[in-house]
Parts: sequence; C-alpha cells; structure tokens
Amino acid sequence: MNVKKLTRLALLTTIALIIFMVEAQIPPPIPIPGIKLGLANIVTVYAMFALSPGETLAILVCRVFLGGVFAGQLMTLFYSMGGGLLCWLAMLLLRRLLTKKQLWVAGVFGAIFHNIGQILVAIALTRTPGLIAYLPVLLVSGILTGAFTGLCAQFLLARLDKIGQNGGPAD
Amino acid sequence: MKSQKFWLFLIGAILLVSAAAGALVFRGRAGESSALIYQDGECIRTIALSSVDAPYSFTVEWEGGYNVVEVERGRIRVAAADCPDQVCVRQGWISTSAVPVACLPHRLVIQLESAAGGVDGMAG
Repeated sequence: MNVKKLTRLALLTTIALIIFMVEAQIPPPIPIPGIKLGLANIVTVYAMFALSPGETLAILVCRVFLGGVFAGQLMTLFYSMGGGLLCWLAMLLLRRLLTKKQLWVAGVFGAIFHNIGQILVAIALTRTPGLIAYLPVLLVSGILTGAFTGLCAQFLLARLDKIGQNGGPAD
Repeated sequence: MKSQKFWLFLIGAILLVSAAAGALVFRGRAGESSALIYQDGECIRTIALSSVDAPYSFTVEWEGGYNVVEVERGRIRVAAADCPDQVCVRQGWISTSAVPVACLPHRLVIQLESAAGGVDGMAG
C-alpha cells in the first residue's frame, strides 16, 4: 500500500466519519430506532466502485468503530457494525453487476441489507423476535434514503472521473 | 449488465411489499390485554392493561440507568429515561402489539400481547 493510497483511504474515512457525526446531531424525524438518512453510506458506495472491496471494508470498519467510540454509544456500534458488514457483502455481490450509471442501485441494496443486519443484531441482543415488526418500516425508509445516497455517490464518481481523481482499484 | 428498468422494477416491487407489510403491522388491532416488560430478554413484569383502574408509574433500573414506565388503562409508555438516545420516550404511548417500545441502551422491551398471541400469532 503506497502513501497515495493510504492518504486516500484516510481522507475517505475522515469524510465518512464527519458525515456520520454531523448526521448524529440531527434529531431523528421519526422516533423509530434505526431510521436515519445514512449519509455516510455515500462514501461506502463510492469507495466500493472507485476503489477495491478490501479498501471499502477498511474504511467502513474504521468509520463505524470510530463513530461508535465518538458517539459514546456502544450499542450503536453493534448495530452499525452488523448492518455495515451485511451492506458491504451485498455491495460486493452487486459490484460486478452494475454499471457506473447504476450506483444508486448499490445504495438501495446497501441500505436494505444494512437494515436487515441492524434488526438481526437487535433481535440477537434483546432476544425479542418481535422486533422484526420494525423491518418493513425500516426498509421503506432505507430504500428511499439508499437511492438518495447511492445517487450522490454516482454523481461523485462521475465528477471525479471527469477530472481523473478516482485513483482506481488496487486489486 | 441489467438495465435501469430492471432495477427500477425490482426495487419498486420491494418498496411496495415493505410498505404493504408496514401498513399491516401498524394497523392497530383492538383487544390487546397485557403488557410484558422484558429486561435483557427476561420477562420481569406482566401488566393486565385492560384492568388498570387508575394511572400509575414505576421505575425499571438497569446498570445504573432507569426507565420510568407509565401505565393507563389500555396503554403504556416510557415517560422518562436517562438513556442517551431517548427513543423509547419519544415513541410515546403504545396500545397495540404492532411495535414494541424498545429502549436498546437499557435492554428494555415493552411488548403488548393480546389473548390471541401477539406478534407470533400475527406472523403465523
């Protein structure tokens, strides 16, 4: 891993973390745990298509861990990690299927699997299978916000492509 | 490579199905009778909501934190808590078994159950 790559990863992690922390300050519009914009997902989708899956995982894990530590909520850490890892897996499968004009699809499926991961962790931690009742509501909001964050990543990738600043996958 | 249309239809279908499922879950169902209060997965208290005469509240403690649970006839809520996110407090009163009140930081879940068997009955 060269210095340029390392700097790029550090920068993306920082951006994701800042977005995450700023978003955490906004009070949730709907009082259901787990519903939020998920703006940090922009960085995950972008990295998945501009860089390699491994590098994306590194950014994601660092962001979720640091975000959990800074927000001071250990529980949030578990939910985000469960959601984040499942989201990463889904995008890993989609990566080869999608063109650069279809990043929004990755955003949507990333959000869907993030929600599923969150719910699974919540069910495991509280041992309350009834929490699955949240899933449809989470999915509706996840699909909408996922399409938005995916589109953001899509535009970001296209703009940075134009000026040749995307780096490129290391694999 | 699938077309944009393919993904639009697929995602639209998933959206519709979840919206329908969400509507089903949230459609209030009458006749809920008892509230089960779980802490860390264990049922610590059962309240027959339909036979509550006067409103009252009590405190559930968890590792130095607390939730004040308020009970009225037919409904229950977390009135106050010292958890960091306050999601349980903001959720307000619940009177159906559709969505439990969950205070995840304090591992507290309040689930309403009808005589017919609550969420499990609905899923089956």
